Amino acid sequence: MTTRRLFLQSLAVAGAGLATRTSAAGDTGRGDWANQFAAAREQHPWLLGYQGIQEKSLSSRATLSGEWPADLTGTLFRNGPAQHEVAGFRYQHWFDGDGMLQAFRMQPDGVTHNAKLVATHKLLAEEKAGRALYPAFGSTPPQPAPVTSPDAVNVANISVLHHHNKLLALWEAGSPWEMNTKTLDTRGPYEFTADLPPNSLSGVPFSAHPRVEPDGTLWNFGYVSNAKLLVLWHINPAGRVVKMGRIPMDPITMVHDFIVTQNHIVVLVPPLHFEPAGDGLSFLDNHHWRPADATRVLVVEKDNFNNHFFLELPAQWVFHFGNGWEDKHGIIRFDGARAPDPSLMLTSFRDIMRGQISPARHAEHHQYRIDTKQRRVAEMPLFAQGLSAEFPSIDPRVSCRRNQRLLFMCRDMTAARQPAHTGLNAVATFDYASGQRHTYVYPDSQIPEEHLFVPHPASAPETRGWILGTALDWQQGRTLLNVFDGARVEEGPLATATLPYVVPLGLHGKFVGA
Amino acid sequence: MKTLFSLVAGLYAILVTQFIAADTLRVVIENVASSEGNIMLEILSTEAEFNGESPAVAAIIQRAQTGKMTFTTDALPPGEYAIRVMHDKNGNGELDSNFVGIPKEPWAFSNNATGKFGPPKWQAAKFALDGESTQAIALNQ
Repeated sequence: MTTRRLFLQSLAVAGAGLATRTSAAGDTGRGDWANQFAAAREQHPWLLGYQGIQEKSLSSRATLSGEWPADLTGTLFRNGPAQHEVAGFRYQHWFDGDGMLQAFRMQPDGVTHNAKLVATHKLLAEEKAGRALYPAFGSTPPQPAPVTSPDAVNVANISVLHHHNKLLALWEAGSPWEMNTKTLDTRGPYEFTADLPPNSLSGVPFSAHPRVEPDGTLWNFGYVSNAKLLVLWHINPAGRVVKMGRIPMDPITMVHDFIVTQNHIVVLVPPLHFEPAGDGLSFLDNHHWRPADATRVLVVEKDNFNNHFFLELPAQWVFHFGNGWEDKHGIIRFDGARAPDPSLMLTSFRDIMRGQISPARHAEHHQYRIDTKQRRVAEMPLFAQGLSAEFPSIDPRVSCRRNQRLLFMCRDMTAARQPAHTGLNAVATFDYASGQRHTYVYPDSQIPEEHLFVPHPASAPETRGWILGTALDWQQGRTLLNVFDGARVEEGPLATATLPYVVPLGLHGKFVGA
Repeated sequence: MKTLFSLVAGLYAILVTQFIAADTLRVVIENVASSEGNIMLEILSTEAEFNGESPAVAAIIQRAQTGKMTFTTDALPPGEYAIRVMHDKNGNGELDSNFVGIPKEPWAFSNNATGKFGPPKWQAAKFALDGESTQAIALNQ
């Protein structure tokens, strides 16, 4: 291969996933986004959750009410976009903001909270410049600086992973960002150890939804838009790369989550095609929804990434899956929050940054079945129509194995009385064997975020435990951490830890036991 | 790889002697982060050369020096050109890239052009050489 060809090929992917020009969303001036948002907050005070943080860090002891379970000790780490404005420039998509990592530490003497903005290369460069410099997921500031690598614009704002004693803040288009577990200080981009030349994995996309098996084996994927590649990661419990895979993907799309079973990896590839359409468009705006096209279902053998095949489902958008498993006959089952299209991301999560409430097609939870021998795939709804569902999760001890129970956030869109806000308003548990679902509906003054199942330390999988989740009390201007009995969520929180401030509405977390 | 560059460097030598009505091009490379390896410059006179479809009209390789480096040539006739630069830190003659092809070594283009979702286009990187011309190019780290 010639130097020139290598050079061109390398540069062809240097900007993959990144925009360098202005966003097309500027039908109103950029200053208007902040003004419009401020005006809308007068009308819709619950928009407080999307205001964004002014501080670089937060720290406080929480006020407890109720009876906090004595056995529940450890830390809930959470991540999410938090800094929505940089030097007067307000981002035009919820997913753009700089990530803030939080730690709710539960100890016998109470609950403490601290949070810090992830000091990414992007954040530090913008602090030094005194202005927003770089294109983000859905918007671009005026006179953007050139983007020379994905990690130059990595905002580490989606999720968090605790693995081989490392705490990693995750984006999805670049490296994980390593954080100090105790102080939440930023250590920098993290490169997994591997039998590869130095820096070979630097900047390689690592999605925000890795799957970790009960023994600590980790699987993940990433997409490289311009190179039209899907990357697969196989990492051992000690954090060392066992193998990597590259699967050509044309057309390439945006993929947020995936499924791992005992023998297979499953990736749903929605028809949200990356088709760069010229100057002036953000990364998101260069994606085009093609509802007449299929959602491709990629099934890959875990032992050999070269062995894979594609199936097809109707066009659909699934942000998150709960869990996947496989029986001895090679039948894969998994669940996912299936929306008919990505309008929530394409429209609602953009418009909410200027306080505009745009309707979107909600996700309803579905069950999927893949026959790996007959190479067939089928899907069916899990619940009656009208139950909007998201953030599915399970007891982490049955990850990638058969699960009996499911935990998710929801909102009954058919209910006569709807809350003032547009978010989900309930947490629910579901038992596959009994078909029973139990739901706790939050008061209208609170917007719940992702909730997680935390096993009791001495329990068998999917038995005793708690449900732990945050909520924004927009009336009181407080962020709450609630704990429920895992078997009786419908009874409401056992206890609540209340912070003296608001943390912007975020995305995903992980609980790490004491 | 080094053979290719020797060949192109040879072509450059021929150009030096062939063009009588040549103009002066000064190229200042900024942000050279270390003295490891070589700075490699390719001078491209057509879009085809820029896209790698035909060899560069000229190429220059020099040992890297930290900070700023200046290259001057009187060998080029007036016309449109673009320049591609890389800092070949390990001296293997290639722009090393990671597992998915993202460059691991510094690079840049004339006009400090950057691309949207990839390398810049010829239109963004080209400049006119007419008389004396200076290109200040900052390497991306």
